[in-house]
Amino acid sequence: MTTYNECVAQIQQILRTTVAKGEVVGEDMDLIEELGLASLDVMELIEQLEDVFDISFPINELGDVRTISDLARRVQLLTDR
Amino acid sequence: MSLLEKLEAAQRSQDVLQALGVNAIGATIDVAGSATEGDIAGNRVVLAGTNNYLGLTFDPVCVEAAVRAVRSHGTGTTGSRLANGTYACHAALETELADFLEARSAIVFTTGYVANVGVISTLAGPGDVIVLDADSHASIYEGAKLSGAEVYRFRHNDPDDLDKRLRRLGERASRTLVIVEGLYSMLGDVSPLKQICEVKDRYGAYLLLDDAHSFGTMGATGRGLAQAEGVEDQVDFITGTFSKSLGSVGGYCASRKHDINPLRAQIRAYMFTASSTPSVIASTRAALHLISRRPELRTRLWSNAKRVHSALTGLGFTLGADSSPVIATIMDSPQQAADAWQMLLDAGVYVNLVVPPGAPKNMSILRCSLSAAHTPDQISQIIDAYAVVAEHLMGRPKAVAGGSL
Repeated sequence: MTTYNECVAQIQQILRTTVAKGEVVGEDMDLIEELGLASLDVMELIEQLEDVFDISFPINELGDVRTISDLARRVQLLTDR
Repeated sequence: MSLLEKLEAAQRSQDVLQALGVNAIGATIDVAGSATEGDIAGNRVVLAGTNNYLGLTFDPVCVEAAVRAVRSHGTGTTGSRLANGTYACHAALETELADFLEARSAIVFTTGYVANVGVISTLAGPGDVIVLDADSHASIYEGAKLSGAEVYRFRHNDPDDLDKRLRRLGERASRTLVIVEGLYSMLGDVSPLKQICEVKDRYGAYLLLDDAHSFGTMGATGRGLAQAEGVEDQVDFITGTFSKSLGSVGGYCASRKHDINPLRAQIRAYMFTASSTPSVIASTRAALHLISRRPELRTRLWSNAKRVHSALTGLGFTLGADSSPVIATIMDSPQQAADAWQMLLDAGVYVNLVVPPGAPKNMSILRCSLSAAHTPDQISQIIDAYAVVAEHLMGRPKAVAGGSL
């Protein structure tokens, strides 16, 4: 079973190599307003998470996701299915 | 974000485009003099950024049919299909479309966008699943969102990724509507439809094909990609538009496998919007008739497309796909694409500028689309204009072009 912390760590790792360029990204950071992700960047992040955890993320639930923490919680729920 | 803050954000994103120094988005065609020529900013240019694949917008047969219809039936229906806007011509077009596609039934909508939004949002609902190609048209995304179904994307043109998504759904795969397009309008690439059909059949899912850009342009008789790939019997629903090969405006949904007539009283986008004007229906019927009887239009379209594709490849451009009626030139940056767009316009050729966030995968694209109506001289002019871009923006020698050959 995947833990919430594992999900956060995975998201942070992907973001460090893409938008944050090596900087630390906090789990409460807003993906769009603070990290500056465009909608296409968010979709690419989701695709990478789907591959890592072998899940499918419903895009109609993306509206509820603002922070890394929101995303991690949703990903963890999907890995539990 | 408040309402007005959203307006300000939208203005900022328009400012980014303005800063590129060109007026490419929403460029006004002052006069469309023919299927392939028009006036933009006071200059007569070759139109190579339309969807007029068969060049039928000015075909005398289609024009005459529209004129006759407006004289006999008036300028508009003033009503919706289900209430007071169904004329005999709407029903006749539906019958003719169904016959042409060898479908059980067909429904005509006011636009292609409305057809997708209406059909997708009605076919699927809460408890169902939609799995769509990531590069799908906005109308497909909108219909999926409106449906209340769970929505997943699979990687563009990747049947293996679709397979993975359907596998993860388990038994719910049989309540899933897979959606792909035939020919994708931005990059000009074609769906691997045969493999998509194999995958969806393996899981018992349904398939909706948006054939907007391949209807009329592909298949032995112009029935689109499913005909070209020999999988028409495996596609559950086909949607499409009249505003590409048929040269007017409108949309449709048809099915070989299912009787879709009961949907009429369910689709809000059918029930609560005005029906197409009789003149539009008349020219569409005339164009549909011509598609069957003039296969040389498709031959000429593909010959023009192959000539431009081969010349642009020779000029060293990176192209979005193999030869197709849409030829996307992938540029290094939004600024380079904008400069190239202006350079082409100055050379008398109008194409489409597509930059982020409107372009797939954040690419900056010049979208050139060909028509059966382009003459050999116009094709030469298009190629020569691209040679100017290659020479000035990419440092390529003009001699490679061979456009005038």
